[in-house]
Amino acid sequence: MAGAIIENMSTKKLCIVGGILLVFQVIAFLVGGLIAPSPTTAVSYLANKCVDVEKNHQKTKWYLSWGSNPCEKIRDFDEAVSRQIEANDIVFSIHAPHPHNEMSPWFQFMLYVLHVDIAFKMDNQIKNNAEITFNVSLGYRDDMVSEWQPMAYAEETRKLKCAFNYPKTKENEDSFYDCDVLSFMEIGTVAHKFYLVNIRLPVHEKKGINVGIGDIRDIRLVGIHQNGGFTKVWFAMKTVLTPSIFTIMVWYWRRITMMTRPPVLLEKVIFALGISMTFINIPVEWFSIGFEWTWMLLFGDIRQGIFYAMLLSFWIIFCGEHMMDQNERNRFSSYWKQVGPIAVGAFCLFVFDMCERGVQLKNPFYSIWTTDVGTELAMAFIIVAGICLCLYFLFLCFMVFQVFRNISGKQSSLPAMSKARRLHYEGLIFRFKFLMLITLACAAMTVIFFIVSQVTEGHWKWGGYTVELNSAFFTGIYGMWNLYVFALMFLYAPSHKNYGEDQSIGDLGISSGEELQLTTTITHVDGPTEVYKLARKEAQE
Amino acid sequence: MPGTRLLLSLALLCGCTQLLAEASSWWSLAMNPIQRPEMYIIGAQPVCSQLPGLSPGQRKLCQLYQEHMVYIGEGAKNAIKECQYQFRQRRWNCSTVDNTSVFGRVMSIGSRETAFTYAVSAAGVVNAISRACREGELSTCGCSRTARPKDLPRDWLWGGCGDNVEYGYRFAKEFVDARERERNYAKGSEEQARTLMNLQNNEAGRRAVYKLADVACKCHGVSGSCSLKTCWLQLADFRKVGDLLKEKYDSAAAMRISRKGKLELVNNRFNSPTPEDLVYVDSSPDYCLRNETTGSLGTQGRLCNKTSEGMDGCELMCCGRGYDQFKSVQVERCHCKFHWCCYVKCKKCTEIVDQYVCK
Repeated sequence: MAGAIIENMSTKKLCIVGGILLVFQVIAFLVGGLIAPSPTTAVSYLANKCVDVEKNHQKTKWYLSWGSNPCEKIRDFDEAVSRQIEANDIVFSIHAPHPHNEMSPWFQFMLYVLHVDIAFKMDNQIKNNAEITFNVSLGYRDDMVSEWQPMAYAEETRKLKCAFNYPKTKENEDSFYDCDVLSFMEIGTVAHKFYLVNIRLPVHEKKGINVGIGDIRDIRLVGIHQNGGFTKVWFAMKTVLTPSIFTIMVWYWRRITMMTRPPVLLEKVIFALGISMTFINIPVEWFSIGFEWTWMLLFGDIRQGIFYAMLLSFWIIFCGEHMMDQNERNRFSSYWKQVGPIAVGAFCLFVFDMCERGVQLKNPFYSIWTTDVGTELAMAFIIVAGICLCLYFLFLCFMVFQVFRNISGKQSSLPAMSKARRLHYEGLIFRFKFLMLITLACAAMTVIFFIVSQVTEGHWKWGGYTVELNSAFFTGIYGMWNLYVFALMFLYAPSHKNYGEDQSIGDLGISSGEELQLTTTITHVDGPTEVYKLARKEAQE
Repeated sequence: MPGTRLLLSLALLCGCTQLLAEASSWWSLAMNPIQRPEMYIIGAQPVCSQLPGLSPGQRKLCQLYQEHMVYIGEGAKNAIKECQYQFRQRRWNCSTVDNTSVFGRVMSIGSRETAFTYAVSAAGVVNAISRACREGELSTCGCSRTARPKDLPRDWLWGGCGDNVEYGYRFAKEFVDARERERNYAKGSEEQARTLMNLQNNEAGRRAVYKLADVACKCHGVSGSCSLKTCWLQLADFRKVGDLLKEKYDSAAAMRISRKGKLELVNNRFNSPTPEDLVYVDSSPDYCLRNETTGSLGTQGRLCNKTSEGMDGCELMCCGRGYDQFKSVQVERCHCKFHWCCYVKCKKCTEIVDQYVCK
């Protein structure tokens, strides 16, 4: 029965390992900061106003203001008034991307938000709680000449949240309202080159549809997608990380199975953490370049969720297994109180994500936030998840506090202990403090970089180089947690220094203190019992 | 400044034709409807030479970027509209005079009003070009040409597309400033002072658009969290740009030209202007009375507000000449039913109001 590698490693070797990991960490940051462009780009579009001249308003017809078969376009609605064109005859047309460009699968996703420019008119103001209803159809094609293929059609309603910052007088007519951005559409794949969005705002006075929404002047869309360059760097990183984490994982498990005793809980949890990390790492996204897989966004969310849940559970179990009291743990069920909130929180977020991104697989224009019930439901899920997270952190802090209390208690009585027990406890304390330190460092780095990337402009000029902070944040933090898991599996694997000798150790007795150092087990549960066993033997002798 | 006025009248006597040619400006694009770009025959150069008011440099730009011309005209039109809104209650109300010089001779005086006009029209161009950019009407705008890494061919894929506000700003700088940049005057001369003033005010106008463009962001990380956030610039309503420039007009700095050929403050007690501030070199002419020399139209015949104490009040507006009162019947739309576009059903309401007109 051997101790963990970290205990048996000399300080010099530990420093070398630490140094190597640090070098990889810096590389991870630099890859994002110097090579990759910013993670995402926003492109704004202004809808062209087409006139649907046919009387029966065919839904199958596509309107595009340029190209081989351009629609009849009007500049502004004053022109429409003079020509007696009605609201129902107007089709807002947006072609993505702008002419002379084409979309690419490397963009990964398309996220669109909608602005409505509404002018103030004394006698045509926005009603309270006004809602805007639009019929929207999305089409695609892969070359400039072929017909548009329909992709999605929906009738959606959004709440208008607008404020007017001037006094509502005749003088300020034609000034614009300040309206909140409306969520419009989200698609998890960019499989085609050209997309066309046609929006209609039908007016139905009897049903009260699109009545009292003010004097609309323009509709603008902002399209967000990942930058192709960032996608490439990201994929490359995943492709490199997958085999390295996988290799260490296999090595780690071989180590454990080579021991004669069954693996203890903590060892299993570390292995599970390795699996969830590999699960995130596996670059299945490569397939999104060739296939039209809209569920990639959802799948990515789920993978990240599993990893986070695993990481949080690991911290709790690690603390518990280093508690150094006499309670029997080593079972997953003894942690239900602490792991419970993680499970509930993760489940809530999963349900929320299914309600939002899951439904978007069917209807890309759907958003849970647009209806009152949906908003309340979404908020409920998020609040429950938030409460669970707080509860979890309370538990974690309490456990860390307990461990430290026990440590200080043990440290005062260490000199009085027998050598075997002392080495065992010293090993436990070192292992715990070491993990505590790197975990805190990683968490602090994550938080600091998150804040920096939120606050600053996103890129720093540094000499001739532009450092993309946001990209550096993503690759750096991603690399960091990979290194964390890597280091964990490497350093906390059972030491090879005389494994397989645990059977004979009883026979050897306690004549040599050197042997006993190696008898300290990775978990407290076997450790003391075995030491007690030995101690009892000693007493009998 | 009687000296300048004397100079001006001398110049007027010397060569009326020359001065008129000088006074013509690209603003005239607002007055003469330009054909839509799709009606151009590609490469049809005469369009640019037919457009009145362009300087040689601007004509060259016109040939390179023909499709932009419509939007410059539109920007100028919006700018004039905004100018007239901001100055509706002032003695000088930004009224246009003719189709070539647009605002008439008042613009040859480097006054506060001129400063505002230059700024607002430069802002109008930024606004219009950025808008056209978003409409996808301009082929040169959109993707930035800064490739990364160095020789990557498809920069759109690698780094995304440039910002349309930035494009509008850069194009407006090229086009609007072209006229000032292509002339060289002796250091410390009146003309140089005027050139520097125009450049400063053009820049102030463009910056006003850029400054007022607010950053909108969208969070779209895991489960819509803010771990991933994308921001973009969003142009403000042009009215806000007008409001800001009007404030800058009120706090504009009086400047004079130094021997070194730089603008310096007339009164050193004030802070020197930032690139966002308006500057002027001449005091404003008297806008009360019609004056052929300065180009002032006078306030005779303007409507005024009897009860107001401000600039639109009859006392100030009519410059103490008094006013005539008359009753007029105004027909207004009332009890209207609207759709969001194009449909209005109203009743007609008539009202008799008292109106006052300057003598």
